[in-house]
Amino acid sequence: MDKQLEDLKVIREMMEKSTKFLSLSGLSGVLAGLTAMCGAAFAYFYLLRNPEATDYTKFQEMIILLADALIVLGISIGFAIYFSWKKAKKSNQKLLNKVTYKTLYHLGLPLIAGGIFSLVFLLRGDIEMVASSTLLFYGLALVNVSKFTYPEVHYLGITEIILGLLSAIFLYHGIIFWTIGFGFCHILYGVLMYIKYDVTK
Amino acid sequence: MKSIISKLNKGFESRVRLGIMSVLMVNDSMDFNALKDLLEVTDGNLASHLKALEGLGYIHTVKQFIGRKPNTSYEITSAGRESFSEHLKALEELLK
Repeated sequence: MDKQLEDLKVIREMMEKSTKFLSLSGLSGVLAGLTAMCGAAFAYFYLLRNPEATDYTKFQEMIILLADALIVLGISIGFAIYFSWKKAKKSNQKLLNKVTYKTLYHLGLPLIAGGIFSLVFLLRGDIEMVASSTLLFYGLALVNVSKFTYPEVHYLGITEIILGLLSAIFLYHGIIFWTIGFGFCHILYGVLMYIKYDVTK
Repeated sequence: MKSIISKLNKGFESRVRLGIMSVLMVNDSMDFNALKDLLEVTDGNLASHLKALEGLGYIHTVKQFIGRKPNTSYEITSAGRESFSEHLKALEELLK
């Protein structure tokens, strides 16, 4: 009996390992969330709360917001790569394999489209729409990639989509939804996934 | 009990073969090195099991060139898919 049970375990493990990107660490979610919150706090207190306090032109404001967003993005990706690399090393796997490329492709395609789309809004001066479009496309990217990784990513994606739609409806509170979506949700899901997948093993 | 056990396919008795078949069930194709990394076995060990499975008609080899490098990948055959499904069913039956 034990042999058959072991056999089934091997079959299951091989099917999962060969189709799913499981090196994602909850910690990268937590740190991405904290970074996003810092970025949002900077944007809010430095620029958006009281636009008269600084004498930037609309264009300068846009550049500062863009730089802020890109720094947050860069740091988050950096953390994600670092923790995935560490987790892959720990479980004796290669980080760059066929599944990783497939995962990056399915995550990246909607993200790049959404990034360019949001950039167009930003450059046209529709700063209010940026929170909504970044959340929406990020959510769609997560739902799209979730079949190649942990199932929780699917629900995180749906949460982001709902927040994106809400922030389109409540247009002038975008920064709140953005902070919830990229900050709070990342921390929440990061902690949940860290406890579920990283601590027990 | 005997009848169920006899349904277990002798061709899948080794863990390596089980692993190869599992990977190929859920992937369209997989090349030699990727299989080696997944199963954590040596070249020779993997090659002999692949050969045996090919001999049984469960998988087939696709040789091609990627740029200038020769690349060998493996795909499951419909006979392989059928036999593996039956083997899985027999395993599940045994554990009921």
